[in-house]
Amino acid sequence: MQTAALPFFIDLVTRTDEARRGFEANSKVLDIVANGLSVERYRNFLLELYHVVWHFNPVCAAAASRITDAHKAVRCYLYQHMQEEKGHEEWVVNDLEVVGVPAARTLAYQPSMRILVFNGYNYWAADRKHPMSALGMVYALEVIASVYGGPLTAAITESLLLEGDRGISFISSHAELDAQHMAELRVVLNEVTDNEAKSAIIESSCVNFDQFARILEAI
Amino acid sequence: MNDALRRTMPAELDRAYRYIRLEWNPEFAMLTARMGVSPIQCYSLGVLAELKQIYADISAARGLVRYFVTASDIPGVFNFGGDLSLFVLLVRARDLDSLRLYARRCIELVWWGEVAADIGVYTIALVQGDALGGGLEWALMNRTVIIERGAQAGFPEVLFNLFPGMGGWNVTIRRAGLAVANDMILSGQIYTAEQLQRRGLVEHVAEDGQGEVLLNQFVRTMDPRFRGSMAALQARRIAAPIAYESLQAIVDHWAVTAMGLSNRDMRLMERLARAQIRKIGGANDGVVEEIKRMELDSAWDFERTGISEWDTLS
Repeated sequence: MQTAALPFFIDLVTRTDEARRGFEANSKVLDIVANGLSVERYRNFLLELYHVVWHFNPVCAAAASRITDAHKAVRCYLYQHMQEEKGHEEWVVNDLEVVGVPAARTLAYQPSMRILVFNGYNYWAADRKHPMSALGMVYALEVIASVYGGPLTAAITESLLLEGDRGISFISSHAELDAQHMAELRVVLNEVTDNEAKSAIIESSCVNFDQFARILEAI
Repeated sequence: MNDALRRTMPAELDRAYRYIRLEWNPEFAMLTARMGVSPIQCYSLGVLAELKQIYADISAARGLVRYFVTASDIPGVFNFGGDLSLFVLLVRARDLDSLRLYARRCIELVWWGEVAADIGVYTIALVQGDALGGGLEWALMNRTVIIERGAQAGFPEVLFNLFPGMGGWNVTIRRAGLAVANDMILSGQIYTAEQLQRRGLVEHVAEDGQGEVLLNQFVRTMDPRFRGSMAALQARRIAAPIAYESLQAIVDHWAVTAMGLSNRDMRLMERLARAQIRKIGGANDGVVEEIKRMELDSAWDFERTGISEWDTLS
């Protein structure tokens, strides 16, 4: 697909297609989609995920503080998005309690190096690379939630015999919630015209797809 | 294909591809493109870009390739059509323009197959595994379809409230008539190779594992009559034309319809994708069996209660 003169959203979809499909084709991700997770691995996943969710808003805030008025719409989008995501780490804590991990243990959990790398990259990119990089993180996480969240939810629910949303509220609700978020993200991405910002968003999306697959590989 | 033959790949076609393995048979000037996309064999953006490059190379080196064969590198699967996760992404993003753009890219490639005879290329689909949706559309667009007996094919899109938009109506009507096209597309049913042949949709059925042997026999028989056959095919396009404008109008309607897919429809698409992923992981049943299960579930539940099981998913 030619990328010249396309709206930036489809340009981003096209230029990160390999990275998205790399996530989709990762053997450990495929195994989770096919067979779900044991309760121990699901606990590990949620404990790690807590630190992705907990640092999501601070990364967005770091980026928003550095975005100039040239991209005011993006800054406003991040404010609104942070408001919508505020407190969602509590959903992860609640899901962990359902599967037998007390809140105190969740809060005391030391994330793995993969999480440190994931969050470290996103802070660094927002602070040093280009503040618009945060949109790459948002894009990758929204795609993972809205496109792959459904099959992952179904697989985990089946393998653990969970009922309704119990123990899986964060993933299942984000599979639905992020569908709306994706439409909003498209609108704001299509307003990005600056090539440097576009490159930073593309790079960040690819890194986030890759690193999130690494997180799932390790649980 | 042995190394000696692979080494003879003409320079005009010799490129490294990620998703397509090319084979060259100099005896018949036959180029075979074997597609291998993981985890699900489909028309991803990457494979579309590679096909476009291959077609451009064939067109630029006019007269070099006489036969172009589309086949698969994935055992048991020919092609499952569109990239479902990309559809879901674009539908969730409410991005009609991009979905239309993707669909039009597919149509451009379908159209190359339609007019390939004009540049002296005879197209063949070697179907050695299941072909669904866009995978079947692609196969039927070829001049000759050779299918192995164990392969199954159909247009399941109606099961998730969509329809085959990339030439499916046009080629099915041209090959088998409106009644068969209606039946296939509106039922979503999956057919065996024999059933497809009885409906006039495919030319040859080979025993499993013998598709390539039959392909070579076919080309050997065809070759002495090549020029006459190509002229006849060009005349066929006049007698039974498929217009580019028709393909484009249908695909635009398809994109608008896809934008209306509900969460339930998308969950059914995900269910099919998951079934195939389970099969890759060693399960017995894949997407074809899941489609049959959906048909059966729907028929039984509707008969008993008047309510489809799918309604409960929404």
